[in-house]
Amino acid sequence: MPWKDGYTISDERSMGDEDVEWADNYQCAVGIVVDYSVRSGSYGIGPEDLGTHEAEFGARVGIWRLFDLFEKYSLRATFAVPAIMGEAHPENVREIIKRDHEVAAHGYRHEDVSGLDMEEEKRRLELTTQILEDLSGKRPLGWYSLPRQQDRYPGGQLSPNTVDLLIDAGYEYLGNGMADDIPHYWVTDFQTRRNILTLPYYYHFDDQFFLMFPAPGMGSGLENPMTLLQNWKYEFDATYRRGRYFTMVVHPYLIGWGNRLEILESILLHIKGFPYVWNPTGSECVRYWKQRYPAISSLKLERSIWRDYPGSLS
Amino acid sequence: MIQHEADINRENVPANTASHSTESKYYRIENFKYPKGIRLAVNFTVDFDAMLNRRLKNEPVMELTQGEFGGRVGIWRLMDLFDSYNIKLTIFTVGRICELYPETLKEAVKRGHEVANHTWEHHVPSDIELEKDHLLKATTAIEKLCGKKPAGTRSGHKLSLLKKEGYIYTSSNVTDDIPYYVFDDEWRNCALNLPFHYVLDDAMYFHFGWFGSGNAGQRLADPGKVYDIWSSAFMQLYKSGRYMNICLHPFVSGRSLRIAMLERLIVEMKQRPGVWFPTCEDLARYCIDNFPAPAEVK
Repeated sequence: MPWKDGYTISDERSMGDEDVEWADNYQCAVGIVVDYSVRSGSYGIGPEDLGTHEAEFGARVGIWRLFDLFEKYSLRATFAVPAIMGEAHPENVREIIKRDHEVAAHGYRHEDVSGLDMEEEKRRLELTTQILEDLSGKRPLGWYSLPRQQDRYPGGQLSPNTVDLLIDAGYEYLGNGMADDIPHYWVTDFQTRRNILTLPYYYHFDDQFFLMFPAPGMGSGLENPMTLLQNWKYEFDATYRRGRYFTMVVHPYLIGWGNRLEILESILLHIKGFPYVWNPTGSECVRYWKQRYPAISSLKLERSIWRDYPGSLS
Repeated sequence: MIQHEADINRENVPANTASHSTESKYYRIENFKYPKGIRLAVNFTVDFDAMLNRRLKNEPVMELTQGEFGGRVGIWRLMDLFDSYNIKLTIFTVGRICELYPETLKEAVKRGHEVANHTWEHHVPSDIELEKDHLLKATTAIEKLCGKKPAGTRSGHKLSLLKKEGYIYTSSNVTDDIPYYVFDDEWRNCALNLPFHYVLDDAMYFHFGWFGSGNAGQRLADPGKVYDIWSSAFMQLYKSGRYMNICLHPFVSGRSLRIAMLERLIVEMKQRPGVWFPTCEDLARYCIDNFPAPAEVK
């Protein structure tokens, strides 16, 4: 594409369905993401958020139900873990590894980093990486910046430095971007093609926008589990036909409860009814993608032809 | 730098003034009739701004990537889908798209879709000179890239200016559910209007935070629900012989789950006899030729 700094993060056109190939002749890929955070504001998870009944439910009951459900269907997930959540329940992080899932980073306390200066953001990023490495025994390869329920925008927040800091820190991938529905390269500099592979995210497949959304007392949308299930099913079926990448995000404190768990089980059962579905964790998918579609040959950026005029956007 | 902050903030509420004309003296077409054998005309219209509207409103980078999906993925899927049913789209494009997705627009023209105007940068400046400048820039950019001057617009541009640039139709507002004429306040300049109703706009159901609606206002819908609404609307408009204009955004409807829903809808429409899928320009020319605007309005 004619690249435009401040407008675009990747090339002009995505890969067509016919060009996407998965390892070992799999028909499509399914990435399950567990957002292991709890309800918080833009500050991120504070001590008061960790102590709510809801949060306790997520850590002591919900996440265990997910472990068991994934085991029942032989599915694997990527757990996006805020460092502070890992510290609060180290046994849960150990269990994620024990059950052969992946631990990815999800901020120090799932805070909105968009207002942080670079030094502070860097400090928190390094701290988060260290804490998660200590808890899980492995350095996290992926970083998620998923939205909070109270955010004004549903895609998650980055600062102008986040992606560069992730590249500097050696992260292999950014877990959530909305510019595509397959893995894609997020470019921070046109000249050098500096980039990080990004996995797709879309809030229509994220449980928090359908389960008690907005929070009680904040509106009247509230509980729409069937809408969530329908979105998952429609998207999975369409993605399977196209042979692309299906992704869904669930929160233990939300999806782990009562009938909602049945919604999750329904979609997992549905997915398991299809042959040739590949279910990698984030870093496994990224390893495959970088080898099969390296940026050097698959990223097609063209110089900007944008012109600046008085009275127009620059 | 974003220019004209006041204009942009005003456009955040209550509705999309990039799409909506403030001049709308309504002139009904009496005895409106479709060509023989046609019961209903259906236009699938595409508002193509990719991330430009999000950028104009200074939204954060993740929102821009949401819009970028429309350019990288969505617009192509919409073209492929409608091509496979031999239906021509009318793509209302923001002028700047000519600089961001030139190959895409050229391909659209090659495949026979109509490219029309949706302002230069997704807003109409309140300063008249700047408005003229923006309209000229968008018109010229589209003409240069697509080889033909756009005939229509979905915008709040003044009818007098549109007429000078050769535009014959608009597509906004909903004073009627068949094509009608809009005049300016002096009843001097007019255009044919192909109305679209927000009920038939994908963003109303599928886009979080549309025009500043807060979290409490969100009612994210699944495709099945919208299919039910749109297919009921289609049946009613078909039975009563009115007009249907469905507004799609590539970053919204270009998602796989919604392309699948649209395909169901197209199949349902195609099963009925007498459904016409013209481009907006074709329909506008039909209306103007057969039911011309009055030379003078009392």
